[in-house]
Amino acid sequence: MLRAFRAFESEGLEYVLIGATAMGFHGLVRATEDIDLLVRASEQNIERLRQAFRKAYASDPHIDEIQSTDLLGDYPVVRYYPPSGDLFFDVMTRIGEVASFDTVEAEVKEVEGIHVRVATPEALYLLKRDTVRPLDRSDAAALRERFNLKDNK
Amino acid sequence: MPIQKFRSVEEMNAAPIRVVAAGNAFERFARHCGRFRLIYPRTYPRGVFRFRSFEEAQAARERHNVGLADHSIFPNAD
Repeated sequence: MLRAFRAFESEGLEYVLIGATAMGFHGLVRATEDIDLLVRASEQNIERLRQAFRKAYASDPHIDEIQSTDLLGDYPVVRYYPPSGDLFFDVMTRIGEVASFDTVEAEVKEVEGIHVRVATPEALYLLKRDTVRPLDRSDAAALRERFNLKDNK
Repeated sequence: MPIQKFRSVEEMNAAPIRVVAAGNAFERFARHCGRFRLIYPRTYPRGVFRFRSFEEAQAARERHNVGLADHSIFPNAD
């Protein structure tokens, strides 16, 4: 996980970490297998993403299948399973009609000298609050309780 | 709370979220995920898959997990 974050930083990827991994940064710990990323929707940034993955995963040829025409077009979600086999990445340029890199509030966390851009608890709560999965609703409830969040947005 | 006790796996999975101090949160999170992978190793496909929406991506993951559910003692992980 850390080698990916390190590569994201070194390549200058513009992203926001969301999902359970982001919750982990905020001290709400539960098991997850994936890393959810909202990335800035631009061709240049998608190239940074590919470069970062190549750096982290030894030039896995599958990385070339990550296409900006998909992420900027009809397929705003791309799932990448790296050869390490221990996790996978959900890379998104938008969620629904409202959430994107530009609209999700984030803060920078540091782990082992690596700077990671993580969605704030409030932003995570807003993303999870209205979803249908019980797991997401459970996450939303935990965020609300832990950070005393209000339903005023 | 160093020890949590549960009467069943179902009861354990109903309380999956542990709150830890922010200072070492990521380390605790990474260790927790590492334990999960040891307890319940999964086999993933390789490569890149594309989806028209986040919901479509989640549904694909659920289908994959259902295929593994018979062996799951930790169904609340995503």
